Amino acid sequence: MTEATHTVKSYEQELERLRGMMARMGGLVERQTAQAVKAVVEGDEEAAIEAPDLDPEVDELEREAEALAIRILALRSPMAIDLREIVAALKITGDLERIGDYAASIARRALKLDMDGGISLIGLRSMGRLVQDNLRRAIDALAARDRDQAIAVWQADTAVDELYTAMFRELMTYMMEDPRNIGSCIHLLFVAKNLERIGDHTTNIAERIYYAVTGEMLPAVRPRGGLGPQYASATVPDAR
Amino acid sequence: MTGAELALYLLGVSGFSGMIGWLAGGRRLPQRAPFRPSSRRDEATMQGVGLEELLAVLPDCAVLLTRTGSLRFASMEAQAVFGDALGTIVRHPDVFAALQRLDAETVLATADIILDVPVRRVVHLVFRLVPETLSLAGVPVLAILSDTSEKDAVERVRADFVAYASHELRTPLAALIGFIETLRGPAADDPVAQKQFLEIMATQAGRMQRLIEQLLALSRVEMMEHRKPRGEMDAARIVSRVRDESAPLCAARGVELKTEARSLVFQGDEDQIVQVLLNLVENATKYAVTGQRAPVVSLVMAQSTVGGKAGVSLTVADNGPGIEARHLPRLTERFYRVEGGQGQSAPGYGLGLAIVRHIVDRHDGRLFIESEIGAGTRCTVWLPLRGERRQAKERPSLLLG
Repeated sequence: MTEATHTVKSYEQELERLRGMMARMGGLVERQTAQAVKAVVEGDEEAAIEAPDLDPEVDELEREAEALAIRILALRSPMAIDLREIVAALKITGDLERIGDYAASIARRALKLDMDGGISLIGLRSMGRLVQDNLRRAIDALAARDRDQAIAVWQADTAVDELYTAMFRELMTYMMEDPRNIGSCIHLLFVAKNLERIGDHTTNIAERIYYAVTGEMLPAVRPRGGLGPQYASATVPDAR
Repeated sequence: MTGAELALYLLGVSGFSGMIGWLAGGRRLPQRAPFRPSSRRDEATMQGVGLEELLAVLPDCAVLLTRTGSLRFASMEAQAVFGDALGTIVRHPDVFAALQRLDAETVLATADIILDVPVRRVVHLVFRLVPETLSLAGVPVLAILSDTSEKDAVERVRADFVAYASHELRTPLAALIGFIETLRGPAADDPVAQKQFLEIMATQAGRMQRLIEQLLALSRVEMMEHRKPRGEMDAARIVSRVRDESAPLCAARGVELKTEARSLVFQGDEDQIVQVLLNLVENATKYAVTGQRAPVVSLVMAQSTVGGKAGVSLTVADNGPGIEARHLPRLTERFYRVEGGQGQSAPGYGLGLAIVRHIVDRHDGRLFIESEIGAGTRCTVWLPLRGERRQAKERPSLLLG
């Protein structure tokens, strides 16, 4: 084997390792998000404990991925699409780590929730499912380097914003009805806000995938929902 | 290394017993290799048949993974059964943990995982570390996936059914009992009141009956949600069936139904898609008649691409008053009803769109609802062109990553 092909091969292997780390992080934060939603909606204590437990592993992976990305940048001076992929990877791992943090914080809050005020969690469940589904699609797009899928994810966040606004109103109503609900509702409001933040980071991931694949930026202004009742389009979340 | 040896390995992992008969029965396999040719490839063949081609047609859900869990190959069956969900399955932390357990001594590992999205699934995986000498294009782990969602779904659906039925039927039942007591007591000798009460009771009973029918329909679609549809359907035939079956309803409500479609055959469950469109058309007629204009509902079929995948969209649009944006994302929740913004809330149980959503999920499709106040609502069901895509492809397997 000549020196040149050897170099290319080990470079390819390093890139492959970086992609593997991102996929693993993706799998972990998907799991964290799923368990966090389950903890709140179904009151599942085990799930509430598992989500924060996975956090150190995610953090560790982020550090490893960052070190590897910097190593590749320093030693290989990649160009064009390779360079973009590594720069995007640095940012995507950051987004994934934040998503993990939000999921852990949702799960911790679930342990403090005292749900007997007759507050409906159906809206929150829809929001949770929608956020999970977008996250799944984003990580799929990352693995497949699929720009069309990335655009689809980027656009789908509108419905998350819409649901967040609806949740906000609904929880306000519960609080006004009975002050005893205020404690639970404030927790749920934070849960909804954190889910909405997870949605935003998912959108960021989609933007970075698009950039890595095409070299172009998506428009700075993302289609946003939750602004007014005049016109809206939404990808409807799941029915369960 | 021979194909027969591979078959023995597969037997050990999957318990599939038809392979030997199939091998003896001759071979008509695609000539092109789905993998990069490698020097090892020539050895790893049986009379010129590649291991990968063999794996591709294995009637079991087989995938090849690297040690870090990247998906390198999926058999046709795995793609048909799991579709979009494969990526999420292989990056599940429990799968990674199982892969880490594999070494020279531990060559088998298992994992059981539960997914929430896109549809709830319970998956059992068996991993087998493939020895270096048998390595399939350098990918060391063979996994067989089995979907054990059925049992889980039956239990969940049963529990849900009981909960919803008891909750939703309690109110109308209480009303019925109230009327019966009145008829036996105070109204026992009042024929006018009796007639009036019986009429209300008949309406309530009919309502309860329809609710139970809808709940049963919802249970049915939920139960088979994780099973991918394998039939064939024709877009033009679907649209004409919907037109014919909804004609009496449209005539009764004085709604004009316009349809537009052309023939296109693809994979899916035709009866279910007809059900989806009938539900959407029924909703649309409800909204159209509350608008200011002469009620018109249209059903239009078109080819469109979503997320880079070719597909068919079926759009049901009405010219009713429209739905406020805040309701849109919640419309497919069970029992969610849009309370009358315009003073007239449409009668219904809030189950029609939940049923639609489950069927669309089963088809790996998407549901888009757009609405503009004063202009109307458009519901679009987008379905990927499965089946068609496979015919167009020369080789049966898909190389991933």
